[in-house]
Amino acid sequence: MKHPLKIIPVLALTVFLAACGGDKKPAESDSTSTAAGNAQPKKTILFFGDSLTAGYGLDDATEAFPGVVQAKIDSAKLPYTIVNGGLSGETSAGGRSRIDWLLKQPFDIFVLELGANDGLRGLPVASTAENLQAIIDKVKTKYPQAKLVMLGMQVPTNMGATYSSDFKNIFPTLATKNNMTLVPFLLQGVGGVRKLNQADGIHPTEEGAKIVAANVWAELKGIL
Amino acid sequence: MDNVNYNRKINFGWLFKMAVRDSRRNRARLLLFISSIVFGIAALVAIYSFKYNIQNDINGQAATLIGADLSITGNKEPGKKLQTLLDSIGGERSEERSFASMIYFTRTQGTRLVNIKALKGAFPYYGSLETTPLKAGTGFKSGKYALVDKTLMLQFTAKVGDSIKVGNATFVIAGILNKAPGQTGLSSGIAPIVYIPFQYLADTKLIGTGSRINFAYYYKFPQGYNIEKLVKKIDPALDKAEYGSDTVENRKENTGRSFGDLSRFLSLVAFIALLLGCVGVASAINIYIREKIASIAIMRCMGVKASEAFLIYLIQITGIGLIGSVAGAILGTSVQHLLPYVLKDFLPITISVSISWMAIWQGIGLGIIISVLFALLPLINIRNISPLNTLRMSFEETTTKRDPFRWLVYLLVVGFITGFSYLQLGDWLGAGVFTVGILVAFLILTAIAWLLIRFTRLLIMSSWSYILRQGFANLYRPNNQTIILTVSIGLSTAFICTLFLIQQLLISQVSLSSSGNQSNMILFDIQTSQEKPLAELTRKQGLPVLSQVPIITMRLDKVNGKTAADAKKDSTLHISPRAFAWEYRVTYRDSLTNSEQITSGKFIGKAAPGRDIPVSAEERFANRINVKVGDKLVFNVQGIMMNAYVSSIRKVNWNKIQTNFQVVFPAGVLEDAPQFHVLLTHVPSQPVSAAYQQAVVKQFPNISIIDLGLVLTVLDELLDKIGYVIKFMSGFSIVTGIIVLISSVRISKYQRIKESVLLRTMGASRRQIFSITALEYLFLGTLSASTGIVIAIGSSWLLAKYRFDMPYHVNLWPVAAMFFAITALTVIIGLLNSRGILNKPPLEVLRSNA
Repeated sequence: MKHPLKIIPVLALTVFLAACGGDKKPAESDSTSTAAGNAQPKKTILFFGDSLTAGYGLDDATEAFPGVVQAKIDSAKLPYTIVNGGLSGETSAGGRSRIDWLLKQPFDIFVLELGANDGLRGLPVASTAENLQAIIDKVKTKYPQAKLVMLGMQVPTNMGATYSSDFKNIFPTLATKNNMTLVPFLLQGVGGVRKLNQADGIHPTEEGAKIVAANVWAELKGIL
Repeated sequence: MDNVNYNRKINFGWLFKMAVRDSRRNRARLLLFISSIVFGIAALVAIYSFKYNIQNDINGQAATLIGADLSITGNKEPGKKLQTLLDSIGGERSEERSFASMIYFTRTQGTRLVNIKALKGAFPYYGSLETTPLKAGTGFKSGKYALVDKTLMLQFTAKVGDSIKVGNATFVIAGILNKAPGQTGLSSGIAPIVYIPFQYLADTKLIGTGSRINFAYYYKFPQGYNIEKLVKKIDPALDKAEYGSDTVENRKENTGRSFGDLSRFLSLVAFIALLLGCVGVASAINIYIREKIASIAIMRCMGVKASEAFLIYLIQITGIGLIGSVAGAILGTSVQHLLPYVLKDFLPITISVSISWMAIWQGIGLGIIISVLFALLPLINIRNISPLNTLRMSFEETTTKRDPFRWLVYLLVVGFITGFSYLQLGDWLGAGVFTVGILVAFLILTAIAWLLIRFTRLLIMSSWSYILRQGFANLYRPNNQTIILTVSIGLSTAFICTLFLIQQLLISQVSLSSSGNQSNMILFDIQTSQEKPLAELTRKQGLPVLSQVPIITMRLDKVNGKTAADAKKDSTLHISPRAFAWEYRVTYRDSLTNSEQITSGKFIGKAAPGRDIPVSAEERFANRINVKVGDKLVFNVQGIMMNAYVSSIRKVNWNKIQTNFQVVFPAGVLEDAPQFHVLLTHVPSQPVSAAYQQAVVKQFPNISIIDLGLVLTVLDELLDKIGYVIKFMSGFSIVTGIIVLISSVRISKYQRIKESVLLRTMGASRRQIFSITALEYLFLGTLSASTGIVIAIGSSWLLAKYRFDMPYHVNLWPVAAMFFAITALTVIIGLLNSRGILNKPPLEVLRSNA
């Protein structure tokens, strides 16, 4: 789960709160900076996702779950570097456009974490599935050798049973179809637990991110 | 007279009798004076009554912004401690749970994300859930019914009586929701609203582990309850529980400056009403007493003591003041009742007309106080009128010795004005400044009049024609009215003109935030490939593309070579370390928008390849990271470092509904970066909105739409109302100001009678007298109106800068028109005053006015 409309502060708060000056919420983030200077024969893992990957609201990008996974990789002395390609507020459609920018740099493992914002906005399940498939297709075309990982997502109970189950099923379906490693539910043990989430109730705290990382690590370590 | 007992006791009965007897002498003249008081007080009472009524109206409407006196909200189940606190708060209470959910229209088989609100209690306490049919707004709580947002109904072609499925429960649509109080928060704009009764919330089975629910509690308190105090008391506990509170006052502050501007404007109007009252009453009293000098001298000859003469007239003035004020209060109240009725077809707002006793008592009280205060000055001189004055027939003012009482009266007048301003403004500094301002205006006008008297005397040449000489000579000769008329015309002009200018400024501010073609729908997450087809679709639907901007997310990496770590370590850099933690939403374009203004540097719209990128920084952002024009920045655009420098610093009007940015890039660098687009449009009605949303969702399912229509109508209505109220109040005050001005010029009627009659007796033609009078008033009118206008421009500038805190841009043409109008008005009234003399035989006039 994640912040649905990160765009709102930009567009609208500026409108109503003259004083706010468009203060965007703090977020650590997005980018591929860790990729710089990997001259060693290290392999690269690209985490492509939204604010959960970016570590929205955390003090440091290393506290976000890809950072925690990197720490696990380092302590296991595996030759992998993680590139954090998270962007707060990203939807599957946004990811579909953005992926080209990140495909410029090669990687060996591609971890896909998108769809949460679609779910929170109640976007049609079919269109989310289509966008995710398009992203996977682009990756496969450019780097056919790359291993693929799918991070599953669910929407809050209050969205309604039908939508929730349709949404939840996107991920295993696509994973099977594209022969991807699946993490059934990224936020297992964190989603809905008050003290593991920030005040907004959807973004994990530092503590929560550790559990999220453990969920990912459980599946990821098998393909390293 | 040796047997007169100078130590006799004051016989009040006799004094009263004398006061009445004296007034009997010339009732027509007395009536004229009273009419001036009546107009002054009527202006004051009418303006006050409107003010009180309008203030109540606006406050009532403002309460619909939140729908209750107090709201307490949070996004998690209240704990035990909080629950106890919530229960302990008195007054009426309503409870609401709101959350996002997908609903299903069973008949048309559509699914849509909505904002479900489960409601218990009588909320909204202010305003109502406006529905079709009307009674559904309250009736839906009686069964398994729902209220559904109008646009949503149209979008899914649903009808009242259809069913919707919310989670596991099915509800019958009882009504279409047209407007709901308390929906001004943006959160409510994200998804359309559906109300359901609280008691069926559990049936939906949507509440459970992993649900995201917002909890809201609404309270209504009895009138006069101190809400601020309560909020102060409970806020720490709420903070601790991660809950927040909101009050009407709070919401008003956040809604923008309009409310503050309105109340400042109304207190200004009240203040000016008082001063208009003062001008009306004081100019009448002053001339009245001066005319009484002869009678007083006669009375003194007959053995009346100075103190007795003083008391006789004090009693008389108090009586006149009382009669005038009561009549004024009646007139003012009837104007207040009649005007909205007469204008009801022209006014787009309804102004409630309840009798404001507060205004009436204030009017009467102030009327008497002003009469007595301003009568005291000339009355004090009475004590110095010697019986010899009768014999000398001198019209020169009795030489005023340094009378300590005079200063006491001045002090009283100043104290009165200061005290009253304090009542209006609530702070002594402001009151002091206002009083000093008025004194300065008064002194300027007096000085101008004095200079006029001095200079015309020197200026007049014997070579001028007789009429010209007479006209000018009237300005300085004994029994001249230069000072009194200059001051009263000048002050009234200054007040009228100040009100007009301030009104102009305020209206331009209000219309900025609520005018017609403002965007009320935001579409976002538009992908680059969808940009053009969406714009096309929008136009095809007949809607304007108010703006379409690309947005790129990036982070700040370095400021003048310093990184986040440097900023954290060295606070002397004055770079906020948080500036590095933010994700910046940035756009690129080749020009400024109309809500931006460069304060330093130069906006560069195109980047030169291979060079540092010239970016424009918003003022406050620039302050936060402590940069000036020319400073270097490094941005991390999703993995790619871009070297930039600040080429300009912008001031942004954040008040408008449009996309505003802290950083703007030039065209030519970010075109290929990952980005999405935002489109703003204006939908004129809910059916259009529904059709448009349907078309967009069908073609571009990923695009999210925020329809601010419902949110903005509540706000727009309010701002519109405020705008009209400001126009109405200033219009009304200006008209009353003109009436007061007319009546204060009118009281100079008797000043010139004797001379005109003598002139006529000596054979002057009507035309000559007419010209002489016209010249005198023309001169007085021009001079005092222009002085008044100069004072008004100065005072409105000061008010705009220090009291309203807004830029001073005014259109001076209407002011020029006002100048001519007031001058013309003065001349016309002056001529009307002498009409009686011109049309009747001199003897008749002399006899009746001797």
